[in-house]
Amino acid sequence: MSVTSAAQFQAVSQVFGDFTAVDAIDLTIPEGKLTTLLGPSGCGKTTSLRMLAGYLRPTGGRILIRGEDFTTAPPEKRNLGMVFQSYALFPHMSVADNVGYGLKLRRVSGSERAKRVTEALEMVGLAHLAGSRPKQLSGGQQQRVAIARAVAIEPDLLLLDEPLSNLDARLRLQMRAEIRRIQSETGLSVVLVTHDQDEALEMSDQMVVMKDGRIQQQGSPQDVFPAPANRFVAEFLGYENFVPTADAQVTVRPEHLHVNARQSPAATSDGLSLDGRVTDLAYRGVDVLVTLAADAPGSSSPDPIRLVADLRASTAPDLRIGDEVAITASPGHLVTLPA
Amino acid sequence: MRGHRRSLMLLLLPGLVLLLAGFLVPALIMLLAPPDTTTGEVLARLGQMLADPYDLTIIGRTLGLGLIVTVTCVVLGFPIAYLLARSQSRWAGVLLAVAIFPLLLSNVVRTFGWLVVLGSQGAVGQTLVALGIVDEAPQLLYTPLAIVLGLVQLFLPLAVVSCYSALAQVDANLDEAARGLGAGRARTFWTIVVPLSWPGVVVAATLVFAGSITAYTTPYLLGGSRQRMLSTQLFQYSSSTIDWAAASATAMIMTVLVFGVAALSSVMGRRARAS
Amino acid sequence: MNTRRPVAASLAVLGYIVMIAPLFFVVITAFTAGSTVRFPPDGFSLRWFEAAVTYQPFMSALASSLQLAVFAAVASLALGVPVALAIHRGKIPGKGLLEGMFLSPLIVPELVVGLALYQQFMIGLGMNNLTTLAIGHTVLMFPYAVRVTGASLALIDPAVEDAARGLGASPMRTFFTITLPLLRPGIFSAALLAFVTSFNNVPLSLLLQSREFRTLPVTMLDYVQQNYDPIVASTSVLILAGTVLVAVVAERTVGFAKIFGGINR
Ligand SMILES: Nc1ncnc2c1ncn2[C@@H]1O[C@H](COP(=O)(O)OP(=O)(O)OP(=O)(O)O)[C@@H](O)[C@H]1O
Ligand SMILES: [Mg+2]
Repeated sequence: MSVTSAAQFQAVSQVFGDFTAVDAIDLTIPEGKLTTLLGPSGCGKTTSLRMLAGYLRPTGGRILIRGEDFTTAPPEKRNLGMVFQSYALFPHMSVADNVGYGLKLRRVSGSERAKRVTEALEMVGLAHLAGSRPKQLSGGQQQRVAIARAVAIEPDLLLLDEPLSNLDARLRLQMRAEIRRIQSETGLSVVLVTHDQDEALEMSDQMVVMKDGRIQQQGSPQDVFPAPANRFVAEFLGYENFVPTADAQVTVRPEHLHVNARQSPAATSDGLSLDGRVTDLAYRGVDVLVTLAADAPGSSSPDPIRLVADLRASTAPDLRIGDEVAITASPGHLVTLPA
Repeated sequence: MRGHRRSLMLLLLPGLVLLLAGFLVPALIMLLAPPDTTTGEVLARLGQMLADPYDLTIIGRTLGLGLIVTVTCVVLGFPIAYLLARSQSRWAGVLLAVAIFPLLLSNVVRTFGWLVVLGSQGAVGQTLVALGIVDEAPQLLYTPLAIVLGLVQLFLPLAVVSCYSALAQVDANLDEAARGLGAGRARTFWTIVVPLSWPGVVVAATLVFAGSITAYTTPYLLGGSRQRMLSTQLFQYSSSTIDWAAASATAMIMTVLVFGVAALSSVMGRRARAS
Repeated sequence: MNTRRPVAASLAVLGYIVMIAPLFFVVITAFTAGSTVRFPPDGFSLRWFEAAVTYQPFMSALASSLQLAVFAAVASLALGVPVALAIHRGKIPGKGLLEGMFLSPLIVPELVVGLALYQQFMIGLGMNNLTTLAIGHTVLMFPYAVRVTGASLALIDPAVEDAARGLGASPMRTFFTITLPLLRPGIFSAALLAFVTSFNNVPLSLLLQSREFRTLPVTMLDYVQQNYDPIVASTSVLILAGTVLVAVVAERTVGFAKIFGGINR
């Protein structure tokens, strides 16, 4: 078998008692790419990552790393670099000793080790802190040390479990770029767990959306974002409007809905066209969030459906709660989903 | 995971062997089937004890003094813990250390102090004589009072530690919030501080009571043969009269009492936490 | 103290008096020039300290006590640390029950444990008293080792150990390079507590004594019954001084208050 994948999940399951945390997932982690596992809390992201890293033995299926079966190998036999959410730096060792720990275990000689430690620390811009203790560092710095430590062993895969969730908003944006840079500099295959769709969209070469232990959709952000495969993925990616049709449903993002004062019956076009009423307005500076109740022709229920439009404040019509409006969207912005 | 289970067993095994061979098995045999005696005889002896006025006096004394010691320790220990936990002073740390320190110190040393204080040539008696209050120093040793004093000294640090741990977890801001709402100092204390630190008080009381009814050194030195307690009685049976049935029956009473108190306290603690 | 809380302050002062005053009188008595324990003491001298350190039975008992305490501390830790590891790191069903069982020697009255070992081991199996004492003290100190190191283990982020495994360390290697160094303060606290508790123990040491091997507290207890001279006071002061030393070491290393009941200031 030629090695084109860094790792593979083959029908991998993890059952805790009578609870199935991961349900027979099949997944290929491509070589030299950044893959994100995306999904809400409890969907099995960490569990999947821990099975890949060897901390949890799958209750079913096989895990291949570079084409070889590693399903039952302990973590120390896998040569993977893992970055933990809590960073998990060794508190009793200096930054340099933390980074050198894995090299020491690989019997890398003293001078070579020092060189590689320095290289790894330089890559994350922390060479000047080599002698510090972890607890003297800020959260962002600890994060970088954790990455340097994982990368220093030249792992077959770099695994990161929600690496950015403990950082403040600004640092998070900065670290996204930093991790991408490290990935492209080293050419490592990276798996990153996140529950933040923006993070996944911005960073991924391949994104894998999970729910309840199952993979919902996978592909590049460019493929997934405009064409969510089902309602769950659509909602997770920020599609908020779901309009039932005869045999399916269509979805459209709030920023793609147009709202206008109603002039006689709504003009019919190939896109979406509904009558509705403004039920709430939220002014947010750059934009205005308009909540609407629309009459849905295709709906089986008599209740109006709730829609949200995100309009640019500068071009939005002057709306008031209670206004009768026409709601439209162009055909190119509609995604048809299974009902 | 078989490897996991095997290494767990390896970790637990030596400790389990020690616990079983060095403690549980000998203790059970001693309680239920001591040498040259049957379980029936032990139980018969136990029945006799629970009917005999002399033995009942000893049990009663043990429980009664234990109760007095427990109440005293809580009444003295809680205020110490409270003041230390709420104090901003840097002396609070030192005073806390002084209160805890006796836990490290030998019981013999601590109890010996009371011989010096309460003995006929001791500080209290001689002071009373010197002041002309009495002509002859009164006999203070070998009285229930001596035992109570000795046991309170012994267990007060334990009460302070337990109460302190609980009080340190009660947010001092709560006191202030209650006072801000118009509750007086006393009212704040009884409606906020005491209920919130109650689990710590239960722990303190349990430790002190269980300790008091099983302590040996203090009743031996300060109570002597005049004020027998269960522990000194047990020692008597097992080292001078060598009455195994009586020793086992006494040990059984002590063990049951201690486990009973521990069970009661865990029920009370759970209820306090639930409410 | 706080004078705005007169009742609490009075009770607290009373409490401190009961805890400390007797020790104060022991110290005064130890420096007497007279030959009986009495108050006020007859003059000042160091003669009873000299008597204490030259009194053979006390000094050999001191040596015995120290040996026994060191053995009990080391043995209880050697057995207790693995148990704490299994309880806190292993996936065991009924963990609480297991832990309760390992802590049970703490609940059962020491005198009862002593009697059981005396009767079953020394009389029943004919073991010598030194072996029985060593087993008994180890059993009694074992819960301290399990509990104190367990509490300290619970504070170590398990991800740190996972990280070491991921970097290539075997479980054994992880234990020795990561877990054990991080556990050192806990182990030190446990050792100190076990040492002191074993050194001070009376009930077990009393029942398991022999003429050849008896501990200092037991020897002192015996002496007090026979004689009433101040040598016990001066010996007590020496023990007091030693204990203060231990407390200072504890304070300098792990924090004195932390050793007991997880008090954090
Ligand atoms: N050891 C375990 N025993 C029992 N259930 C577990 C165990 N580990 C995880 N679970 C359960 O499995 C499910 C998936 O957990 P997992 O940690 O993989 O979620 P996650 O996707 O990483 O979520 P989060 O975003 O909150 O980290 C959760 O419902 C969790 O409660
Ligand atoms: Mg997770």
